[in-house]
Amino acid sequence: MALGRAEPAVNSPATGRSLGLLVCLHCRATVRQVEGPHLRCPRCLAPLHQRKPNSLGLTTVLVIAAALLYIPANVLPVMDTRTFFDDESDTIMSGVLVLLQSGSWPIAILVFIASIVVPLLKILALGVLLYSAWRRSPRHRRQRSGLFRMVEFIGRWSMLDIYAISLLATLVHIQSFASIIVGWGAWAFGAVVVLTLIAARTFDERLIWDAQPHDRV
Amino acid sequence: MDGVSVGADRRNDPSTEVRCGVHSVIVCPACDLAHRRGAVPARGRTLCLRCHATLQRSERAGVDTAIALAVCALVLLFLSNAYPLVAMHINGQTRETTLPGAALGLYAQGYVTLAALVFLTTVAAPLAQVSALLYLLIPLWRKRRAPGHGVLIRLVTRVRAWSFVEVFMLGALVALVRLAKFSHIVPGVAIWSCALLMICLAALTSVASPQQLWRWAEQSRQ
Repeated sequence: MALGRAEPAVNSPATGRSLGLLVCLHCRATVRQVEGPHLRCPRCLAPLHQRKPNSLGLTTVLVIAAALLYIPANVLPVMDTRTFFDDESDTIMSGVLVLLQSGSWPIAILVFIASIVVPLLKILALGVLLYSAWRRSPRHRRQRSGLFRMVEFIGRWSMLDIYAISLLATLVHIQSFASIIVGWGAWAFGAVVVLTLIAARTFDERLIWDAQPHDRV
Repeated sequence: MDGVSVGADRRNDPSTEVRCGVHSVIVCPACDLAHRRGAVPARGRTLCLRCHATLQRSERAGVDTAIALAVCALVLLFLSNAYPLVAMHINGQTRETTLPGAALGLYAQGYVTLAALVFLTTVAAPLAQVSALLYLLIPLWRKRRAPGHGVLIRLVTRVRAWSFVEVFMLGALVALVRLAKFSHIVPGVAIWSCALLMICLAALTSVASPQQLWRWAEQSRQ
């Protein structure tokens, strides 16, 4: 709901960088850039940078690590249900299938989206954003900006399965009847979620809009 | 005002707040486009022309609203942690768990990192967020600033990013549906307070944003 839009300062795109201004990402104060090794926000004392330091390199490493861990997260069992009669290992996908077979398809779809689609989408989206930022591509900037905001917004929802598993494991721990043991897949999955969350934070979305080579720090 | 180098006397400068920032310009934090600063809108928000990120929000809520929400969140947080989330009746046995119990269950099975992750995101982060906010807001209500104001606002922003109560809520729902297949499930007090906490935290987050906290701070004495 855009009820008012701020006016640009001049006609050609004047950026914080071209005007020698920095914005504090913590308190949003606009600060004039001065020479100095470690600039800090005069209001909240947060470190100030024209762009987040080592943003591309750091984010690339995190995304690669997350992509690698995504494999064990989906292949290894996330939980092991032991009863008198059988011993059943569930991966994330087979957990979704069990839910689907037992008729609770809305929950099955929810888990499928949160645990399988969202992490994959996040890794792919961050990959696209990183690649286009490395190349400083001028194309589809607004869409890429929107993509990044989506990654930021949906990221936390992949924690859903971790919480469900931890509750199941805590509740179903009756020695005489059944027990649910957490598998290493859950650990790998948790690592994927945390790594992508951190990656979304280390990525500087302003890099999407920095196209000209001389714009680089 | 100009950015300061570390080592400059920034802490003890009483005029910092007055001179803080280049007030005529808003730089978009998402695409670096500079905008001339207009008045804060009465309703809705101001968007960046280029990337449509939110630049300003209307600030109708006062400190009182924020305090009320924070107190409410603190009470709900207590209920969510002290009372059982669900009870499960099976074969004449009853098992129940609380919210911290979910993290403890993982710890008991030897998954220390996962347990820590669950504990941080569902118990520690919301608690730190709400108590730090209360610590900041109560002095602000009396037009004063709490010691360590700046550091704590930054802490609140950091911690807020890791508080996943709403996700936990849905996760608990998924767990309940799974268990309901082979046992009798009784939802506890905590599941209701958790649902309310989720709403309360969302409202608190939008009312007591860092920008808003700084605005209130600038209206108060040192």
